[in-house]
Amino acid sequence: MDKRLFQYKHAKIIVIVIGILTVLQGMMIIAQAVFLARAINLLFQGTAWSAVLDYLLYFLFFFILRHLLQWMRERISYRFAETTALDLQEQLLDQIFRLGPKGISRFGTGDTVTLCLEGIADFRNYLHLFIPRMLAMFVIPAMILLYTYDLDVLSGLVLTLTMPIMILFLVLLGLAAKKKMDDQLTTFQVLSRHFVDSLRGIVTLKFLGKSTSHVKAIAETSERYRKTTMKTLVLTFLSSFNLNFFSSLSIAVLAVELGIRLINGTTMLEIALTVLILAPDYFSPVREFGNDFHATMDGKEAGERIHEILEKDIHRSGDEAVHIPVWNEWRTLTIQNLGLRAEKENRMIVEGIDFHVEGFQKIGIIGASGAGKSTLINLLTGFLRPTEGSIQIDDGERLEHLSFSAWQKQLTYIPQHPYIFSGSVRENICWYHPEATDAEVAEAVEIAGLINLIEKLPAGLDEKIGQGGRRLSGGEEQRVALARAIVKNSPIMFFDEPTAHLDIETEYDIKQRMIPVMENRLVFFATHRLHWLEQMDLILVMEEGKVVELVTFEEFSQKRLAVEFLGRSQSV
Amino acid sequence: MKLGRKYITPYVKKNATSFFLAILFATLTIAASTMLTFTSGYLISKASLRPETILLLYIPIVGVRAFGISRAAFQYFERLSGHNAVLKALSSMRVQLYRMLEPQALWIHNRFKTGDLLGTLADDIEHLQDVYIRTIFPVVSGLTIFFVATSILAVFDWKFAFLIGCLIGIIVFIYPLVSLYHLKKVQVKQKTWTKILYENLTDALFGLEDWLISGEKASFMRKYFSAQKTSNRLERKMNDFHHVRTFVLQSLTGVVIVLMAIWSSLQAADGLFEPSYITAFTLAVLPLVEGLIPISQAVEKIPTYAESLQRLEDIESFAGTEEKHVISDEHVQKAPQIQQDAPDKFSRSQDVLSEIPEKAVDTSSAGEIVIDDLSFRYPKQDQLTIKDFSLAVAPGEKVAILGKSGAGKSTLIQLLMGELVPESGSISIAGHAPQAYRERIYDMLGILNQKPYLFATTVENNIRLGNRLATRADVERVVEQVKLDRYIRSLPLGLKTFMEESGKRFSGGERQRIALARILLKDTPIVILDEPTTGLDPQTEKDMIETIFATLKEKTVIWITHHLAGMEKMDKIVFLDDGKITMQGCHEHLLKTNAHYRALYQMDKGI
Repeated sequence: MDKRLFQYKHAKIIVIVIGILTVLQGMMIIAQAVFLARAINLLFQGTAWSAVLDYLLYFLFFFILRHLLQWMRERISYRFAETTALDLQEQLLDQIFRLGPKGISRFGTGDTVTLCLEGIADFRNYLHLFIPRMLAMFVIPAMILLYTYDLDVLSGLVLTLTMPIMILFLVLLGLAAKKKMDDQLTTFQVLSRHFVDSLRGIVTLKFLGKSTSHVKAIAETSERYRKTTMKTLVLTFLSSFNLNFFSSLSIAVLAVELGIRLINGTTMLEIALTVLILAPDYFSPVREFGNDFHATMDGKEAGERIHEILEKDIHRSGDEAVHIPVWNEWRTLTIQNLGLRAEKENRMIVEGIDFHVEGFQKIGIIGASGAGKSTLINLLTGFLRPTEGSIQIDDGERLEHLSFSAWQKQLTYIPQHPYIFSGSVRENICWYHPEATDAEVAEAVEIAGLINLIEKLPAGLDEKIGQGGRRLSGGEEQRVALARAIVKNSPIMFFDEPTAHLDIETEYDIKQRMIPVMENRLVFFATHRLHWLEQMDLILVMEEGKVVELVTFEEFSQKRLAVEFLGRSQSV
Repeated sequence: MKLGRKYITPYVKKNATSFFLAILFATLTIAASTMLTFTSGYLISKASLRPETILLLYIPIVGVRAFGISRAAFQYFERLSGHNAVLKALSSMRVQLYRMLEPQALWIHNRFKTGDLLGTLADDIEHLQDVYIRTIFPVVSGLTIFFVATSILAVFDWKFAFLIGCLIGIIVFIYPLVSLYHLKKVQVKQKTWTKILYENLTDALFGLEDWLISGEKASFMRKYFSAQKTSNRLERKMNDFHHVRTFVLQSLTGVVIVLMAIWSSLQAADGLFEPSYITAFTLAVLPLVEGLIPISQAVEKIPTYAESLQRLEDIESFAGTEEKHVISDEHVQKAPQIQQDAPDKFSRSQDVLSEIPEKAVDTSSAGEIVIDDLSFRYPKQDQLTIKDFSLAVAPGEKVAILGKSGAGKSTLIQLLMGELVPESGSISIAGHAPQAYRERIYDMLGILNQKPYLFATTVENNIRLGNRLATRADVERVVEQVKLDRYIRSLPLGLKTFMEESGKRFSGGERQRIALARILLKDTPIVILDEPTTGLDPQTEKDMIETIFATLKEKTVIWITHHLAGMEKMDKIVFLDDGKITMQGCHEHLLKTNAHYRALYQMDKGI
């Protein structure tokens, strides 16, 4: 059972309402069986159909009512599931925004997208099916059983005995199938992935001259996959075989047993008929529950994963209002003993960071990979919250972190691979500032060197880029990000290795365009391309999570720190 | 429908026996469950007449037992044979899709940059399983049962059979068609919304930094949830339709039961059959109709297959046209259809190879590349992608090619591989045009690209792809050459370690090294390096470049790169822009004579 089930809004009421409807439905099931049995019995005795019509119509009435109740149950539980899932989705997205980009990357950003959509859909399906199926499984067989005992004790015994045997086998077979699945899981995954793998690697196969002969491998693997799957299915399908087998066997036993007692005259036809009509309804809730079991379990699992993200402890302290002034050339930022501890490994990712910057200084951050450059950038942008230290703007209060909207709104952030939103080039450029005028856009396009690209595009500024649109090269992505930043015109800019992956000529061109944009702003620039350092006022050299040097460019070149820390990696 | 005939029917025909078995068992399942209630009803009614001896009831008793047991067995076999049939069809579809894609692999890869189109296609094929299991099987078995049951009833009374046929026809024909028609639009709309939601959410999560900086979270939430609610509304509509449909069809079943009771009592009153059949006929209605209700669900799914089918069709027609445009050169004579058998192809390539004496390939000229006045233009394009390009590379020479993205670097590689045919000018590799080698071109050229694909198998298998006949010692030797021996030995399974899903266990540098080992094992005279170190951090990049050039000492190397690191070691440096050579020469020469090169070099060096 899912302990959280009752914590959802209105869950208890829904369970009670559906419970009542289920009891009513049970009554209808019994009533329709009684009237049908009575009608058939009378018809069998030779009564004219017109005299029995009343009973037949009663049967029809209760039969329809029974399905009407079913409809209501489904409808109510569907609506409950829909609202609850939507609510949960809202909480989830809210939490994602609160955790920030680094927080969710721990759960896998792509996986989180899937969880937000498909996971929520699975969860809704689970809520939709679980409550009515569960209630039906407990209520309806019990009511039918009680009524059957009242009619005929022996039949009641047959029904009572079948159920535990059926469930016992269900559990045993389920365990056996699971074991078999677990045993073959790796083989299974390898085989089922083989084809996707072959398609994705088709170019590599081609380069190796293996692509034509690979057809044989695909055919063979598919065949092996089929055989392995079939071996597992032989067991898996036994579960539903078991459900069907015991329910129909029990009906057969009932029919024969009732037949014999009818011959002996120890029971009546009408009673026998009622029992026989009721028997399938006694088993069907269990069968339905069994059939939907896997679908509901997927949804339950999705629900658990969602709650895992929701329960991730976050410092809610960031939500209260803190006064953060707009940055200008007289402001100062003081960082004291800033550190971030890795939760799981209990290790400091960065520690003891102390520095002071003022106004529109430009700060270069260098260091080998893994030295903590990006982490420092993420702490300063507020995408990550430090676990130690404090931050002070001017003489204001000491802040524990910078995840404040008032701070983040003043920033521009250009990483190595800026995200391109699915939309037109214009929409991407005006992304932070949708009201930008054409003149502003044109200026940004000019400065960022996007003109060539836009002239090449069939739809110009309105060409769709991003997902499902035209793909941009790394250099074009950087130019779009730069144009975006120019339109935003914010006083603080963060760069995280923006040009390392570009070809040298593009890098050269973009550098010339970036330099003027960085004027009159506070700039943090993490890179291992040393040529940028000439533009910087201060250089933070990081090593193993610590700032080991805090120097000006002149000091940096004099000390030959470049040779010491990075120089070797710059020339082969 | 047309697509269905193309992508579904052939596979059904090919595995006709398996499909027949699956449908047969599906039909028998419904029949057995109907007959169980039929015989049970008959049995107890007959028994209530208290016959002299139980022996008179022997046949119905056996019937009840037989049907009771066989129903479950039939269903079990139905599911097994159904899945078996589908997996067989799936197997053929996979082979077919691969055969279709293989000759066009590079095109498709370049045209649809997202490597995941291919993943989607694989999913599509998987998704088409449902066509059989959820649509074909229930529909065919349901129709069979419907016709058999009404025919049996017609033997007793054709008029009543007609009436019941019409009523059940609502379940078998009318409602499925109504569902199809009604839900098609909703399904299509719902799908577009799902796509929008997916796009919005991906943008939000992958662009989360930008959302935070913009401070527009609230507006995103508003926009997203209004879209989500629209999508929910459509889904609710479909669900409500399902619930109403179940209710209507069940109520209809109730009506049929009542009619059946009245009719059978009339038949009995007329003495046409004994009264015990009243019970039998009346009770049999419910299980019978329950076997027919799934037809509606089966039919309404048809539009959901359309997208997958369409994608397969698009890819196929795309592959077809590209081939015509690009490789319809006369001296290539690459068969446009790929269905030919492998042995056939083999013999054909041997024919072509016989034009190239084995000796010519094996001599010292094996690593020689001569490009003379080469021009190339893609079909339907005005501009030349490569213009008057000439380059001579002696065996063992190292040449670097630099250029912005779109300068023509990848086109040049494809021309070297013979995947593209020059418009004018010529390329010769060891004295022959690349096309003359056909598949054997890859024995001449090895390619290490930016993201070499590592397959979800062991490290050893991945390396062995270079040469399946290599000995264990050979594999160990190349692993040592690429300096992975220590790391591999530290893994518990060594060379038998699995790559894991898309190779996440190994870092970027290690993956490149595995790919390099594969190329070393292949031992081609020429190696093309297509920006293999992009994305690696400087230290790893530097080590990697060192390993690459140490291991490729003897070979001709064409190195596409974006940085100037390592240029001192190159025999030639070529700058490409807009398909033309803009600068060329060795490092010292360029440094002395070219100001632009000097500026770039200065920047690259840093300080």
